[in-house]
Amino acid sequence: MSSPTAMIFGRYAAIDSPVHAMDARCKLTLLLVYIIATICTSTPLGLALCALFTFGFYCAARIPVRTALTCVAPLMIIVILTAIANLFFVQGGETLVILGPLGITENGLHQAIFMSVRLTVLLFGACLITLTTTALDITDAFESMLMPFARFGLPAHELAMIAGIALRFLPQFATELINTRNAQASRGASFTEGSLRERAHAFSALFVPLFASVFRHADTLAAGMDARCYHGGTGRTRLNQHAFHRRDALACAIVALQVAGIIVCTLLGV
Amino acid sequence: MQLAFDQVSFTYDAQTAKRKGKTAAAAADWGNSPDDLWALRNVSLTVNEGDFLGIAGHTGSGKSTLVQHMNGLLSPTQGRVTFDGQDLSAKAAQKACRGAVGVVFQYPERQLFAATVYDDVAFGPRNLKLDALEVDQRVHAALEAVGLSCDQLGAVSPFELSGGQQRRVAFAGVLAMNPQMLVLDEPAAGLDPEAKSSMLNLVAQLHSQGMTIVMISHNMEDLARLCTRLVVLNQGSVVLEGTPEQVFSQEEQLHAIGLDIPAAQALANRLRARGVNLPQGLYATAEELAAACASLYQAKAEEA
Repeated sequence: MSSPTAMIFGRYAAIDSPVHAMDARCKLTLLLVYIIATICTSTPLGLALCALFTFGFYCAARIPVRTALTCVAPLMIIVILTAIANLFFVQGGETLVILGPLGITENGLHQAIFMSVRLTVLLFGACLITLTTTALDITDAFESMLMPFARFGLPAHELAMIAGIALRFLPQFATELINTRNAQASRGASFTEGSLRERAHAFSALFVPLFASVFRHADTLAAGMDARCYHGGTGRTRLNQHAFHRRDALACAIVALQVAGIIVCTLLGV
Repeated sequence: MQLAFDQVSFTYDAQTAKRKGKTAAAAADWGNSPDDLWALRNVSLTVNEGDFLGIAGHTGSGKSTLVQHMNGLLSPTQGRVTFDGQDLSAKAAQKACRGAVGVVFQYPERQLFAATVYDDVAFGPRNLKLDALEVDQRVHAALEAVGLSCDQLGAVSPFELSGGQQRRVAFAGVLAMNPQMLVLDEPAAGLDPEAKSSMLNLVAQLHSQGMTIVMISHNMEDLARLCTRLVVLNQGSVVLEGTPEQVFSQEEQLHAIGLDIPAAQALANRLRARGVNLPQGLYATAEELAAACASLYQAKAEEA
């Protein structure tokens, strides 16, 4: 309806590529390794190596430059804030500029640049996963990776099911909220003007229908799952099994190479 | 009272809207492309006092977008919408128009929220800052207009009512604004046949009392039976406009954009093609066609 399909963080880009076809469990594990490796990198060359490998993976995933940039762009505010904090609060080395009570030092400048590059590389890495993996695949992978903990009483299947359902219903509720807002605005409700009491009343006209709708959907969904004989995770089989292929092994090897590269860089101190 | 669309184009895509020298691009040959940037293309139409304007179109043809322009919820990317000569892109005109143009959206019962039926219907009048007495009168009148009794149901929670009753309450909530014009988006969708026909009778009754009505429907029979004028949308453009008789005579063109004509009309066309000498005109319902056939055979019997 009236919800424009904006490019947002967490968007999936449907492209046929080896990275898209990879096992989601493998992608999640490699992301974890990649994040740790990038955070531990302390040399410029090591960071350049991370950036290079990320770029390589983006090329392999055939993600258009524009798509990648619009995916990361909204998150750049984090990078900018971190850079500013580092710029002013990390002291040491020669003082470059003094602005009132704050001074920018050589170390601060160095740290600000290094941190923002590191964060940007990390964000690109994380976005690559959501760009190449559907939400359903991610929750499935999440479930199968939590499975070993199920024997200690962790409700792995239920957790994944809850996450999957929540993700599925987000756009639905967003649309319904817009429809309700239109309907109440047509009855003269204003959400931006009037006294606090009037506005609170106007907002209850928005959120009561939303909650009613959440319960209605929950009822329908429960009935639907019941009608399909859903009985929880035990004994459930899958249509699409996760499978570890050669390309996954290759990806692991590449990330291992990256980690090795970073270790060498750190040891050499360049 | 007059609501006029003057060369209105609309896009949901902010980037397209900002682009300079923007024009509503030509439509594709068939169907509605999901990444089509333009929801409305150069729509011009006028709703006059006392009209019953029907809007028909395939899913995604721009009907709902059009409706949201009618009380200023959306403002055109190009062109303008005027209500009594006031441009609806201005905030003040929007406010005035919210009281004068009542919009009943699809599944309006989903917008019920108050603890009692009375409070829900009173929401609109209270937003208009009317005094308690006036609000009370309007709530009673609106509930009565939709065939419900305020004394019986006023204190009941709207969530305890049946689906058909809930829709009537939501409808009353719009009527309580005392609109000069009602815009209805699929008022009978999802109702059982009985509730549906009584809902449509209610709409027809309001029109006969002088209310200007704009109704969106997928049901060609309903449109043929009720409307005085009909607009057909396809891919955001007006493709046909006229009386139901004029519009439904274009069977092939309607088929080409995925719409049907009333079943009785289709049968009449087929009978005519087989040589039955039915008079030209619109057959909205089976009863009308049956009556025409009966008088035809009566005339034949008298001849013989």
